[in-house]
Amino acid sequence: MQGGRAVTPTVELVLFLLAAATVLVAGVAVVAARNLVRAAFWLLPCFLGVAGLFVLLGAYFLAAIQVLIYAGAIMLLLLFVLMLTRDAGGALAAPHNRQAVWALAAAALVAGVTLSIVVAFPWPLQLAAARADTAAIGEALLRTYLLPFEVASVLLLAAIIGAIVIARSEPSEPTS
Amino acid sequence: MMQSYLQLHHYLIVAALLFAVGAFGVLARRNAVAVLMGVELMLNAANINFVAFWRYIDPARLEGQVFVLIIITVAAAEAAVGLALVLNIYRTFGTVEVDRVNTLKG
Repeated sequence: MQGGRAVTPTVELVLFLLAAATVLVAGVAVVAARNLVRAAFWLLPCFLGVAGLFVLLGAYFLAAIQVLIYAGAIMLLLLFVLMLTRDAGGALAAPHNRQAVWALAAAALVAGVTLSIVVAFPWPLQLAAARADTAAIGEALLRTYLLPFEVASVLLLAAIIGAIVIARSEPSEPTS
Repeated sequence: MMQSYLQLHHYLIVAALLFAVGAFGVLARRNAVAVLMGVELMLNAANINFVAFWRYIDPARLEGQVFVLIIITVAAAEAAVGLALVLNIYRTFGTVEVDRVNTLKG
């Protein structure tokens, strides 16, 4: 990002609108799709659109991570669990529960309040030259933010072990 | 250099809408896996906000990006543990519908 933009403002705007529309349309499809496998696959354009927004913002490393972790690992995990649980085939009568209307009202309220604040608030903008190549991020992670980095790795290890223990199928003591 | 049309609030608007969509999914979906999908959408909205704030408010410091990296790590952990719990619920109750897992209901 040091050397100035490679794309003109118009192209950038078009790319932004494309990515934003992809994210929002796919997001709505994720929460509205009747077939859950389709909903999981709609996550893919949504996550890729978010990666596109990261690229437009100049966070190239995060865009790559987004594709690898979200579009790769997490979506695959969701698909596997959908396949392992029987409700997957879309045989459900209704995809939403009885409080769907209230949920819609609550989501609209959240959107309305957040949007009004976001548009009205005088953000202290500052457009210095952004330096966010991967080397800088690596340096920040291993110097300034070494402790959170290591804590995150311990958390990941604990979560993996916990997930294995919880999901292990053993005919131990009968619950319920 | 030409001025960009994009401003901070464009990204924040997209993130706010995505967050609301994810919140609707969490509140209204019956299937526990679909609820987790809504949670992932909300986390993605938060990540967009972090990167946008980093880019437009304090690009000299990398807190925004580091935060997003930690959030993605935590989201992966959350997905793994959450889906393991869903699998266990399915084995115990024979369903993953959140409305029918109501043993604690009086």
